[in-house]
Amino acid sequence: MKIAILMGAAALWATAADQATLDRGRKEAGLACTPCHSLRLVESQRLSRATWNKELDKMSGWGSKIGDRGALVDFLVANYGDDKPPSPPAMSKNGVPPRKQQ
Amino acid sequence: MSFTRRGLFATIAAGAVASQIARAADEPVAIPGKRPMILHNDRPEDLETPVRYFDSWVTPVDAFFVRQHLPRPSKIDPAAYRLTVNGMVAKPLELTLADLQKLPQYTVSATIECTGNGRGFYVPKVPGIQWMRGAIGNAEWRGPRVSDVLKMAGVNSSAAFIDTDGADTGVAATPDFVRSLPMNKALHPATILALSMNGQTPDIHGFPVRLIVPGWDGTSSVKWVVRISATAQANTGFFMNPGYRYPKYALPPGTPAKPAELEVIEGMPVKSSITAPEDRQKIALGPATVRGFAWAGENAIERVEVSTDGGSRWRDAQLSPRKLPFAWRLWSLEWTPADPGYYTLMSRATDTAGRVQPIVSPWNPSGYLWNAIDRVGVTVEKTA
Repeated sequence: MKIAILMGAAALWATAADQATLDRGRKEAGLACTPCHSLRLVESQRLSRATWNKELDKMSGWGSKIGDRGALVDFLVANYGDDKPPSPPAMSKNGVPPRKQQ
Repeated sequence: MSFTRRGLFATIAAGAVASQIARAADEPVAIPGKRPMILHNDRPEDLETPVRYFDSWVTPVDAFFVRQHLPRPSKIDPAAYRLTVNGMVAKPLELTLADLQKLPQYTVSATIECTGNGRGFYVPKVPGIQWMRGAIGNAEWRGPRVSDVLKMAGVNSSAAFIDTDGADTGVAATPDFVRSLPMNKALHPATILALSMNGQTPDIHGFPVRLIVPGWDGTSSVKWVVRISATAQANTGFFMNPGYRYPKYALPPGTPAKPAELEVIEGMPVKSSITAPEDRQKIALGPATVRGFAWAGENAIERVEVSTDGGSRWRDAQLSPRKLPFAWRLWSLEWTPADPGYYTLMSRATDTAGRVQPIVSPWNPSGYLWNAIDRVGVTVEKTA
């Protein structure tokens, strides 16, 4: 039993990206994506690793300078993978000015 | 433009910048001129209308959805505005706003729907803005006909398309937003250069001059129009190919597109959506009204049926009176559930050409044209 748990933990360790990599990936998202659009666009996606890679190919072609691509993909899959539940919709604040008092 | 972001940030600790940006993304923002909207993206603005705002045939500007591909161009001074008309024309033109205002003006009531409205319903998920029901709205657009402008320029009879370019330009190496439109649709009397929307000229919706292509996908209706070129061939830029194309032959869900078998999207399919009650809402046992909208691209809506029992029995909904091509009809059905409990409400529209909403909307790699029979789940509760 104990051995099975230990083996399971070892398997997890081997497949999941470590925290340092995810932190680097988060930093890279801030650098590579936000010159053109807000991170909301990224955070609302739920994509497989293959589809994230295709998106990054497209964005590289459009001039995004991705430095740490491996970490960025790990970060995207870990947080916005297709196995994650969709995020609740964000709402903007009211931008309609109140009517002037007559 | 050159892309110097690395240089720009070189003097700043990169980690600090990234975490500041990440925090900023989570802070609520107001979009000037808009009520609270579903915020898919604030830079550039991609805003979805919450279904509770869909209670009028004309969607107010302050509730109308926004889809920007590229950052909004700086606000255009109406006095400095020029429309270039060139290409296969006898007399190239540079028109002022006053020139456009002098032409006969037409009002067109037309629904505009983002090509990807409902993308969020597709399984497996596809990349793109995860719109649900609200990337759609109906407005009264007013301005001169594109055909009158082309006539003034003496368009060559062998020109087969017009290219329409907006004032927005790409960031970094993102492609410019240019769309081409087949000449027969460009010359249609309802295809106009709108100078106003519900009597207003909101910059965020593409004014002072916006192309309106009634019944076609929203991406056809180019904002901030600054150039129209008559051409022999369709434009081949990203936003015509591969952007905004749909598989000619249906694909198994989750499989890649075959680039040679993608076609330009033109008229929109028949569709209805339920706007009240909302999905997962709890309502009190007693009389209720099921409401929504339906539209059918270049056709008019003939009929909307509603089921309150998961699709076993269907009843005809009451339709708003104006039965027009290009514009939606609002519908409603009075419903008094007999018992408390969970109900699955559904709506199904039929258009004047006999098209009926399908049960399953065909999956496609870009998540376009979602038009499955709509359904919401509602819990009816006994009142104390």
